[in-house]
Amino acid sequence: MAARQLVNDPDDFVREALEGLQRAHPGLVRYHEDPAYVVRARQPDKVALVSGGGSGHEPLHTGFVGSGMLDAAVPGAVFASPTAFQIRAAIAAADRGRGVLLIVKNYTGDVLNFRIAAELAADDGIQTRTVLVDDDLATDGQEDGAPGRRGTAAVVAVEKICGAAAENGASLDELTALGERIVSSARTLALALEACTQPGQDRPSFDLPDGEIEFGVGIHGEHGVGRRPYAPVRELVGDLTKPLVAALGLDRGDEVIAIVNGLGATHGLELSVVHRELGGFLDGLGVRIGRALVGSYVTALDMRGCSITLLRADDELLALWDAPVRTPALTW
Amino acid sequence: MDTRAWIERFAAVIDERGTELTELDRRAGDGDYGTNLRSALAKVRANLAADDPRTPGEVFTAVSNAFLHTGGTSGPLFGMWFREFAKGLGDEVSARSLARAAGDAEATVRRLGGAEVGHKTMVDAMVPAAEALAAAAERNADVETALKDAAAAADAGARSTEALLAKRGRASYVGEHARGVTDPGALTVAWFFEAATK
Repeated sequence: MAARQLVNDPDDFVREALEGLQRAHPGLVRYHEDPAYVVRARQPDKVALVSGGGSGHEPLHTGFVGSGMLDAAVPGAVFASPTAFQIRAAIAAADRGRGVLLIVKNYTGDVLNFRIAAELAADDGIQTRTVLVDDDLATDGQEDGAPGRRGTAAVVAVEKICGAAAENGASLDELTALGERIVSSARTLALALEACTQPGQDRPSFDLPDGEIEFGVGIHGEHGVGRRPYAPVRELVGDLTKPLVAALGLDRGDEVIAIVNGLGATHGLELSVVHRELGGFLDGLGVRIGRALVGSYVTALDMRGCSITLLRADDELLALWDAPVRTPALTW
Repeated sequence: MDTRAWIERFAAVIDERGTELTELDRRAGDGDYGTNLRSALAKVRANLAADDPRTPGEVFTAVSNAFLHTGGTSGPLFGMWFREFAKGLGDEVSARSLARAAGDAEATVRRLGGAEVGHKTMVDAMVPAAEALAAAAERNADVETALKDAAAAADAGARSTEALLAKRGRASYVGEHARGVTDPGALTVAWFFEAATK
């Protein structure tokens, strides 16, 4: 028997969810069914930002369409890349003649289909540039030819900060450079307490023995890079944060934007505890959390667990982070 | 050269032998290749019926669109491969236009997918086929001869993948398990050119 989920038919799952999103936010987003994409209800004259990828990571990316963030988001099937035609249609719908910044998480299918869509868009006379987000430290340092670091929660920072800069009138080149700077200044690590279950399936994507956690997971329900004994939050947060601090070379006096992200089935209270421990850990190093985002933003269906993203901050990034945003899932 | 008949023969071959491709993919990948390919070709047939293309360029555009609407990694790569045939063939098929189209097509797939000859992918059949077409065009061969040469070269290229370890694509995840298994993508390319010669 399938696990108990609020699903009519797994085949209709994504479409029905997007219809629900539009019904909830008719003033913000418009859902185009075939090919499937979500666009801003009203678009100002500026460089457009388009992102996308497999579904199952909500609110990423469709929840971040709106003023100050994305102009369009392209959802694939659950954990599967959208097709190049979907992406091309979203690019065409978002373009205002000033070019389109594509924000792509580093996964083979996403990279390939966005690259093809960019070529198709070029034939349509639309200029695009791509920022490839690859922040997952768990898949760093693989041998030559491997796909490399996966793209995970840092994509929220790229979408928010580049979105703010685009509203301020930044050019396509300026946005590309800004996006690349964010990517190179951000790293993420995640752990899972429990795997996720695909819509309509009866068992989770992997089993975890009692007393163990999966360390270094991505966002597609796959195994992580290793098992560790379950431990108090304080220790787990230290395990996640130490490698991030080292990879970014953070030192006393540095300032960061922190994203404490739930993977889908983690309660807000747990995430707040994680954030408390992160703050304590960084206080000990003299690293200041300038801004923080705590909640479930980049999920892996109903996985229980969290990721921590640190982004080395400066005045420019903080000002853009603080700029107004109004989307279904992020508003200030 | 009736390109629509060529595509319809290709679709018939995939109908007939698609399970062989799935079996190869089951041994060295994730086992859904033949199914995806058949679903792409169902879309090809639907597009041909709906668009009723008149020129080779229009025929290959219908084929390209069908593959680009198919998911996975091979779907979009074949879509872009066929798209160069659509651009290069236009109104008329000659050995010269075929050679140019096949050359642009294999270059596009190599650029997008990052695979080279010897990586055990569709590229192992695409490149020798393009080279054979270029050689035929160079010596002013007719279209039929050029396509026969391409079919033989693609077939040899596909067979060469059997002994290889994969460096790209699905089979690269399974290491030694892929040795001894012909790459289904390369075999598809070989069957495509073979369908032109019948």
